[in-house]
Amino acid sequence: MIWLTLALKNIIRRPTRSALTVSGVAVAIAILFSLMAFQRGYESGLREDLNALGAHIMIVPKGCPYEASTIVLHGGKWPRYMEERYLQEVKDVPGIEQSAGIIMDAIVARTKTERNRIFLGVDEDFLKLRRNWRFEDGGWFERPDSIIIGSSVAESEELKVGDKYHVHEKRGNFTVDASFIVSGILEPTNTQDDGFYFMPTKTLQKEFNLQDKLVVILVKVKDVTKVDEVTSALREREASMNVFPLTELLNTMGRMIGNTKVFVMAIVLVAIAIGAVGVLNTILMTVFERTKEIGMMKAVGASRLDIFRLIWLETLVMCTVGGLLGVGLSVLTSRGVEAFIKGVLSGTGLISVPKGTLIAFSADVFIVSMALSIVLGLAAGAYPAWRASSIKPIEAIRAE
Amino acid sequence: MKECRVLSAECGVVQAEGIVKVYRRGSEEIHALKGVDVAIAPGEFVCLLGHSGAGKTTMLNLLGLMDRVTEGELEIVGRRISGRGMKRLPEDKLDEIRRENIGFIFQQFYLMSTLTAVENVEMPLLWSETSKPGRAKELLERVGLSHRMNHKPSELSGGEQQRVAVARALINEPKLLLADEPTGNLDTKTRDSVFELFRQLNQEGLAILVATHDAELAERVDRVIRIEDGRIVG
Repeated sequence: MIWLTLALKNIIRRPTRSALTVSGVAVAIAILFSLMAFQRGYESGLREDLNALGAHIMIVPKGCPYEASTIVLHGGKWPRYMEERYLQEVKDVPGIEQSAGIIMDAIVARTKTERNRIFLGVDEDFLKLRRNWRFEDGGWFERPDSIIIGSSVAESEELKVGDKYHVHEKRGNFTVDASFIVSGILEPTNTQDDGFYFMPTKTLQKEFNLQDKLVVILVKVKDVTKVDEVTSALREREASMNVFPLTELLNTMGRMIGNTKVFVMAIVLVAIAIGAVGVLNTILMTVFERTKEIGMMKAVGASRLDIFRLIWLETLVMCTVGGLLGVGLSVLTSRGVEAFIKGVLSGTGLISVPKGTLIAFSADVFIVSMALSIVLGLAAGAYPAWRASSIKPIEAIRAE
Repeated sequence: MKECRVLSAECGVVQAEGIVKVYRRGSEEIHALKGVDVAIAPGEFVCLLGHSGAGKTTMLNLLGLMDRVTEGELEIVGRRISGRGMKRLPEDKLDEIRRENIGFIFQQFYLMSTLTAVENVEMPLLWSETSKPGRAKELLERVGLSHRMNHKPSELSGGEQQRVAVARALINEPKLLLADEPTGNLDTKTRDSVFELFRQLNQEGLAILVATHDAELAERVDRVIRIEDGRIVG
């Protein structure tokens, strides 16, 4: 017989109570694992989104750059525009490999079953930035009224290459009313592109009454290490524009997430503290119930340290099992939790929500979660173990 | 009683002189033992006879190093435990001496309900961090339970449970077996068979001290020490 066998048998002796204690730990660790995994997934999702954008620098009209970035990354109504001529000025700045201007508009859903439709006006320069684009069917614009649609759009609207697509919306004294023909359908990119409608820049400007306007210019530099220099050169050209490197955007969003992390961690710690108190309570109760048995163990040769070790080990086993179950629980429920968090985040409208999987099993998050379960077990078990080790055998055995 | 002013291993497994034990219960002082002399030679079978409350259990606890004497000279298996001018032995030292030299048997058996007979017998090996492969099975065979090795205590009769407890007490090859009313929970027939087991173990050289209030049992041992109100009366 080994220590672990004895500890396990002691735990199994009170199955219901042990199960409840273990599930308390499991829930706390599940919350911890989900949030940490989400954090990780969010950051890498954001990075992937930015990479898929294919650009290093983004230029938008003045305004809140983070709001702007969200809209640029994920679409939406953008109230500020820049003049198209500015694109030429950008192209003149040295160190730029490729730049592309984008015009954007959206038709916002009026009913719950409807979806927001986001239209992007783009040209060949844009295609050069989108290295991740592959056509599932069809190809680039053939005519002024050609549109390219993302894979999710094709699926939800049931559109095929060659199909007609009609857009109609009344806006005050102007009515958007245009017909398009699908020229290409994109393979899934796992970015927001999957949900967009693309058309030639000129077409969008005309049909949505946004002549000579752009909302954003994407810039790819020749040498990634010179992003800062190109950025300052662009800033000097026109003061009315917001020029910011996307790495900075990533850092800023990372900081925003970091701030919420502190808050979230506080909640997690409370959950863990409650779990720990539950474990402490249970173990203490079993120690009191087992006074005689512990007295006997001492009489047959166990030292204080031996008793301490045994009770500590029992707590540790329960918390480790709880931790493993918690991680399992978190992985099993990850899809639902992810949908919930995504909903909350996109509801704020301020923080961009990357597509793709946000909660995924990762080894280091797993290790941190398990380490925390073990620390929880060691902390919660210490006092009951000490109480048990202090039991005097004679008193224990005499107590009839 | 054998004269033994200089305490030494030859003198016996137990050498106690002028043992006083005072408990405090709140403001009250309880004099459980009032100057007791006891000596037990190796291989002796001794009965400590007295009514309940006379001080039997206190005596066993002191000799079993589960409690500390208030006053007096005490030597167990040649190791000096307490006496004049001696520092308190640390608890882990007492644990070690107990583990290596003393076996305990209780009236209520105190077996672990979740463990099988053989696991119960092996349990003290966890504390001594030794492994004695096959020893537990040998002992269970020795106490006549070879057919019950893998049974839980709840599946065993009282007599069988006490035999498991005896086997457990013997796993670390003690020199002294202390038993507190070991047959108190058993019927006459079982009591006799457990006592017969004690007799056999004693004949193999194990010193045994049985505390009981059963005068009939006292007739079957080498020597009886009568205790009354914390004093030896013969």
